[in-house]
Amino acid sequence: MKRSLLILALFAATLAWAQPKTVAEYQELGVTVGKAGGTLRLSLPAAPQSFFYYGAIDSSLQTVAEQLFDGLVEYNYQTYQLEPALAKSWELSDDGLTYTFHLRAGVKWHDGEPFTADDVVFTFSNLVANPEARGGDAGSFTIEGQPVKFVKVDDLTVQFVLPKPQPAILQYARVPVLPKHKLLSYSVEGGAPPARINEAWPTDTDPAQIVGTGPFKLARYTPGQQVSLEKNPDYWKVDSAGNPLPYLDRLELVIVSDPSAQIAQFLAGNLHQINVTGAQFPDLKSREVAGANFRVVQAQTLFGSAPHLAFNFDAPNPELAALFSDLRFRKAIDQALDRAKIIDAVYNGLAELPGHGVAPVSEWYQDTRAYLGPYDPQAAAQTLDDMGLKAGPDGIRKLASGKPLAFTLTYATDSETSPQIATILQNDLRALGVQVHLQGILNNVLLTTALGGKLEAVLLSFGDQPDPELRAPIWKPGGSLYYWHPKTQSEPGQDPNFEAMQPFEREIYQIWQQAGAETNPERRRELYQNWQQLAAENRLVLMIAKPMGIGAVANGLENYIYNLGVIPGYNPVPLMYWK
Amino acid sequence: MAVFLVQRLIRIPLVLIAVSALLFFLLQLQPGGFLNQYLEDPRFSAETVATIEHQFGLDQPPLTQYLNWVWNIVTQGNFGYSFLAGRPVASLIGEAMVWTIVLVLIAAAFTWLVAIPLGVITAIYKDRPWSRIADLVSYLGLAIPDFFLALLLVALVLQSGGSAVGGLFSPAYVEAPWSLARLGDLLNHLWIPVLALSLEGIASLTRQTRASLLEVLDADYVRTARAKGLSEFRVIVFHAFRNALNPLVVLAGLWLPGLIGSSIVVSKLLSIPAAGPLLYDSLVNKDQYLAMSLVLLLAALLMVGNLLADLALARLDPRVRYG
Repeated sequence: MKRSLLILALFAATLAWAQPKTVAEYQELGVTVGKAGGTLRLSLPAAPQSFFYYGAIDSSLQTVAEQLFDGLVEYNYQTYQLEPALAKSWELSDDGLTYTFHLRAGVKWHDGEPFTADDVVFTFSNLVANPEARGGDAGSFTIEGQPVKFVKVDDLTVQFVLPKPQPAILQYARVPVLPKHKLLSYSVEGGAPPARINEAWPTDTDPAQIVGTGPFKLARYTPGQQVSLEKNPDYWKVDSAGNPLPYLDRLELVIVSDPSAQIAQFLAGNLHQINVTGAQFPDLKSREVAGANFRVVQAQTLFGSAPHLAFNFDAPNPELAALFSDLRFRKAIDQALDRAKIIDAVYNGLAELPGHGVAPVSEWYQDTRAYLGPYDPQAAAQTLDDMGLKAGPDGIRKLASGKPLAFTLTYATDSETSPQIATILQNDLRALGVQVHLQGILNNVLLTTALGGKLEAVLLSFGDQPDPELRAPIWKPGGSLYYWHPKTQSEPGQDPNFEAMQPFEREIYQIWQQAGAETNPERRRELYQNWQQLAAENRLVLMIAKPMGIGAVANGLENYIYNLGVIPGYNPVPLMYWK
Repeated sequence: MAVFLVQRLIRIPLVLIAVSALLFFLLQLQPGGFLNQYLEDPRFSAETVATIEHQFGLDQPPLTQYLNWVWNIVTQGNFGYSFLAGRPVASLIGEAMVWTIVLVLIAAAFTWLVAIPLGVITAIYKDRPWSRIADLVSYLGLAIPDFFLALLLVALVLQSGGSAVGGLFSPAYVEAPWSLARLGDLLNHLWIPVLALSLEGIASLTRQTRASLLEVLDADYVRTARAKGLSEFRVIVFHAFRNALNPLVVLAGLWLPGLIGSSIVVSKLLSIPAAGPLLYDSLVNKDQYLAMSLVLLLAALLMVGNLLADLALARLDPRVRYG
């Protein structure tokens, strides 16, 4: 009797001490309570470069890390808002400078060691904020030259002390927390030189050494072929009915780089889920309709790249630079863009009208669709006529100097969609009397080449992010990726060149400055919506389309939520189960 | 003969240096660096670019970078560091070479075992209708790109309900210990790439064998051999074929590096972790030390292959030895 009481008391104590997170029901997303067991096989586009998250920027590593590790906070699957993860709650001081995170008790590393505030402080001060870490993010934790301080208050409490209010810093608290007891010897705190950290956990490390707090443990890596993960029985999440997560016993990430090879492996049953493009959709859908054992789903997504057409306000040819800086010209081209045709022909209808720097499903989105076109080639021609750009006998309009109105459009040849979009633009603008020369280059050098400032027009995509602040280098005038107006940029760390900015750009800049330091969420939203409005009205760049996320998934695999986009790492793998 | 050998051996390192210098120069002309693709990532700032370039020594003048690389190879046997994989180049190439060699050797064995007899038979029976058909097939083999054949075979396997459409093993065998069943599974996966990679070789080697055999079949010594009353088998194999071998031996020396190069697309399509895709990725991403080391390896294979072919030729043909 006494003994059973003791056990009961111990049991109660453990329950009180462990603080599992109950994952919301997500009824609207069709999530149901699952059952345990089974193996899920997904594709990995390339072999991971390392197992140390802060040692490389690598999407395969990111996909693996997403299952092995957790951040202090994470995204809600439905609203994309940040919610508790390893931190069970947090609060911001009234002056907006101190974030206090209360850590979840009872969380264990995969090797059984307890997770504590020391791990958090170690991760942020030695890994994330280490400027020599190749996949680190020292820049986001340095505000106007001052570093953010990471302070341990007690074993389960950590503070981030900021030199200046910066609400977006919570977004960066999503990054994975790694175990101090495994990585100390590679760190500055452990006496190693700063760059040594990049040598932690190479891909030939013993899997037992690579421990996280995440839903799966690393079981084995077969070079060039497969990364195998197995269920973490001590994971700190439970489903809405209180069952432990994850449901799956194993997760196998098979390395298949070629998209057509991924489809073949999926059709053969060797992969259970793949992400596809609009171009591949009809074939798969027709197989589904014909009774194949899978389903193809599509959803509006937050992530995913929305292509835009940008004109270089500082094009080397001064006559073109003046023209590109003129809102009337950009409006005319915008009206000549047949977005409906592009969405239909290039994306098989599986794209929507894009936002201006914010995905339409995002809570930050301002409806700017009124400024996309509408498609009206006559009005476009009229505008160009009114600007004095009359067509010559060959149908090509003439600039004031008498030269033909022609420019070079640079695009990525190895993109699924850009070559087709570029060709459509070329044809449609030719009908308007504007000659477009196409120049195709490799996707991975397109942005750098554009940043060189010598191109005339560029077709490029930027991915959308959950918080606009994460895209400041792109959309804040003078930012390091603000390639369509290079004269506004200056050396890193210095103020941008305000002289070069057009009045609306100065206005946008001020909005970004305010929003970056605004702690009131309502006010922040308003500011970012003003920015989108201004960017849209002024046709800063001509946004073209926002592709849907399309995925094919084996029948019997449930709780497959596809609204976060094509990155498998964001898939709610812990919730997925086999019926 | 010894002089010839020494000359050739001296030439090898010189050619290797020239090849690597040329490739390094070409890589420098390529716009951007391997870091470009990360620029859009929210964690990646201009400062990070500068830090990483410094870590990798990319902020030094190109000539210094190149000389350092050569110096490290000569003094320490260190072929440098892959930027993308974050690991020494040598271990990375070693990992990929295992499967490359397996694939290439099987493809080679298959090619020669099929092409030589086929070439001999079509030469001897050159006027038979089925010989003409074999001719047509080998023309087709030359004309069909290897990746197209691979795609075709994958589609056929899928159509017939198979599941071995890429990679080296089925999911159940990837991590299993070696066994007969696992070997069978491997072969079940390898026949598509082997067939795709061999087809062109079989076609050209068949035609080559046929042509060179036809050339010697009319020679006086063949007639003499027949007149002596030797069996037709002896005449063909020991008299005619031996003399028809010369061009084939030369082909063999060129063949290995060519196969590694041509396996890029097939390996990528079929997700085989071989050296071909590694070379492609390193060139596209400007992972310079990996690219240079791989090209160096290919050049060395080519030259050693040529040398071996020349030696074999000298062994076979006295005219070459004393020429």
